[in-house]
Amino acid sequence: MSKISRRLFNTGIAAASAATLAFPSISLGAVPRVVVIGGGAGGATAARYIAKDSGGAVHVTLVEASKRYYTCFFSNIYLGGFRNYGSIGHNYYGLAVNQGVNVVHEWAVSVNTTSKTVKLGSRNTIPYDKLVVSPGIDLKYDSINGYSAAVQDQMPHAWKSGTQVQLLRNKVMNMKQGGTFVMVPPPNPYRCPPGPYERVSMIAHQFKQSNPTAKIVILDPKPKFSKQGLFEAGWQKHYPGMIEWISSEDHGGLKNVNASTMEFETDLDTFKADAACVIPAQKAGAIAMAAGVNNGDWCPIVPTSMQSQADENIYVLGDASVAKSMPKSGFSANSQAKVAANHIRGALTGSKVFDARYSNTCWSLIAPNDDVKVGASYVGGSEAIDVESKFISQADDTSETRAANYQESIDWYNGITADMFS
Amino acid sequence: MKIFLFVIFLLTSFCKFSFSDERSDEEKIIEMGDIEYGQYLGAECASCHQQTGGSEGIPSIHGLDAEVFVALMLAYRSKEMENPVMQMIAGRLNDEQIGSLALYFSQLEP
Repeated sequence: MSKISRRLFNTGIAAASAATLAFPSISLGAVPRVVVIGGGAGGATAARYIAKDSGGAVHVTLVEASKRYYTCFFSNIYLGGFRNYGSIGHNYYGLAVNQGVNVVHEWAVSVNTTSKTVKLGSRNTIPYDKLVVSPGIDLKYDSINGYSAAVQDQMPHAWKSGTQVQLLRNKVMNMKQGGTFVMVPPPNPYRCPPGPYERVSMIAHQFKQSNPTAKIVILDPKPKFSKQGLFEAGWQKHYPGMIEWISSEDHGGLKNVNASTMEFETDLDTFKADAACVIPAQKAGAIAMAAGVNNGDWCPIVPTSMQSQADENIYVLGDASVAKSMPKSGFSANSQAKVAANHIRGALTGSKVFDARYSNTCWSLIAPNDDVKVGASYVGGSEAIDVESKFISQADDTSETRAANYQESIDWYNGITADMFS
Repeated sequence: MKIFLFVIFLLTSFCKFSFSDERSDEEKIIEMGDIEYGQYLGAECASCHQQTGGSEGIPSIHGLDAEVFVALMLAYRSKEMENPVMQMIAGRLNDEQIGSLALYFSQLEP
């Protein structure tokens, strides 16, 4: 079917005539239908690969509430002043026009796994043969005493991209000279393990220029963190005396936050902030719970396919899934989407299904042209997604290597966003 | 990078010329390839390599000569070429998989 007739087909208006023209011998119902919920690194990639590789043999609908998607990855680079916010925004035009994906800008509110339908905010329902659930995270506001959605504008989490990130940048830029910025990273597991520490680096980079006597205090609920040695060496080198990381073992736990007084109470001390970023604990996005594919906060999957362990017709991608050793990252979600897309096409069209293989790389910018990376490759094992090999930047990397890493991260950003949206 | 590719190309051409009665390692590896498998495996590459590359960092690999592709992947697999990401990616590819990728990318429009 041509792209144009497929799009007409997607509208439903020309469904009968398109089906008659293109498939004279089979009924409309014979065209298998995939619905993808969530247009981020997992969902957009899955929709694109299923549509592209099936060449119109599978009808793909992407349900995503936002018309413009701002990536979480690279939002720290914006916070550091290295790029404008518009540059991390993307639309779904390419998926609709180039790939023939039926893009529906609505909220998915529930899933009926018996009738195999998704109910939308408009109360319309969409039937599916296979469903991809890639909703990202929801925040557990009540995981921190005193924190709530009501105070997120005083103490932005900025852990979902959008206005929260712009608000945080505004707070950084307007903090009083010599003031204290408090960062509260989330407990494991959470989206983007090195993210809070790259964020601290980027805020420190901004302070170095606009507020050089400012201090940053990190009240970590964990005793250690991702790329710790590399970050701490970088902070010492670029921002000496500015950043103080306090381990959970030293402060004894965050007892309460007060958004009115901007105070953070711990066993060790009560810290007073002039600006803050508070990132609470996380869980799979609400639609995963509504679909019943979760076990507790996250969704167990079959490691060789990304199918839900609860329902073989549902695939769970990205942050919402339990991918064990694979971190919750945009790169991981994009990689998982390709395994799922191959598996879904195989199930619906009989195309060849290949071995499940995954990869991930996370770049983190510490200071201009000082970028570190960590990555691993994985295979779908019988019990879990298992690490095959891994690497991490070295403490004695040359400055040329660190600068090349930064350039590589920019090229990766352009590559993955094209791989999601073009 | 371009100079390096050119040198590889010259070397592979020279091998073919010198030992015209025998197939090169690259050719043998390409013969093991399956283009459909290459398309699946190549999706992993597309996370970083764009169709329109050309920047100083991550190059485009669309339309890359199959023998050059194989020679580069072998060089990353044996860690003769640096870059931890590429060493990791190539490190887990067997000859059939490298051949499949070479076939797939060589037939794409640059």
